[in-house]
Amino acid sequence: MSTDKIIPAEIVREFTAPRQLVFDAWTQVKHLNNWMFPMPGCQCEFVSANIVDGGSSLHKVTMPNGHEMWLYTKYEEVVSPEKLVFLQYFSNENGDIVPMPHIPNWPRDMLATLLFEELSDDKTKLTFLWEPRNPTPEELNAFEATRSEHGNGWGAGMEQLHIYLESLAG
Amino acid sequence: MSRLKTTHDVFSAIGEPRRRVLIEQLVLKEMTVNELVDIVQWPQPTVSKHLSVLKKVNLVSERKEGRFRYYRIEPKELRPIQEWIHQFEKYWGSTMDQLDNYLNQIQMKGVDSEH
Repeated sequence: MSTDKIIPAEIVREFTAPRQLVFDAWTQVKHLNNWMFPMPGCQCEFVSANIVDGGSSLHKVTMPNGHEMWLYTKYEEVVSPEKLVFLQYFSNENGDIVPMPHIPNWPRDMLATLLFEELSDDKTKLTFLWEPRNPTPEELNAFEATRSEHGNGWGAGMEQLHIYLESLAG
Repeated sequence: MSRLKTTHDVFSAIGEPRRRVLIEQLVLKEMTVNELVDIVQWPQPTVSKHLSVLKKVNLVSERKEGRFRYYRIEPKELRPIQEWIHQFEKYWGSTMDQLDNYLNQIQMKGVDSEH
């Protein structure tokens, strides 16, 4: 690897809502249970939540097909309404961390940094940074290999690959 | 552990940016080493070295035709990788779609969430 510096993966989104509300949606269980899942038709249940600096939470996402996924989150910084930093892990129902099943060298500690920016009274910009913390070289490789067009990731050819693989599916 | 080892090797193999460039080229068509060298403009031993790593983890296969060796990608080995490539964007991107819907919903209902 030519570089030691980790460039985080990044998602930037704008929400039509006040900054405080967007922040609360990430830090209050009454909100979290309603949206913290990757597709419609899932259910989310926080069984424990102490969302403060140094706190943690455990929640279960039930997929539409009934598959259950447990996620354990350690919160490092909870700065209302501007910043949230956490480490999130796959876990079991006791909150014991389990390794990613598909990629043995997936970084154990994935750090999420969320920055909430007020654009206007009812517009909020959210920047979501995702990066391995203190990865081993193998973990860093796995992280770099799975990222898309950014940084050291795949070039434009990835789009070709995608089209190609889609064509094989049919 | 041998099954895990294979997966691990595949991800290590594509952790090297130059090997990703070769894969991207081979996705377009089957090629010889020399054809790849013409495109990427690296020394031939470099191309050969990286190809051999990709071959070792079965991402690329080799076919002899006359005095040429043609290299092609093995799509079934690449598919799981492709699924993981957009993992972060997919998972958190879709999760934020849910957040977007939820925020629109509760604001329409006028739920008081200020503190």
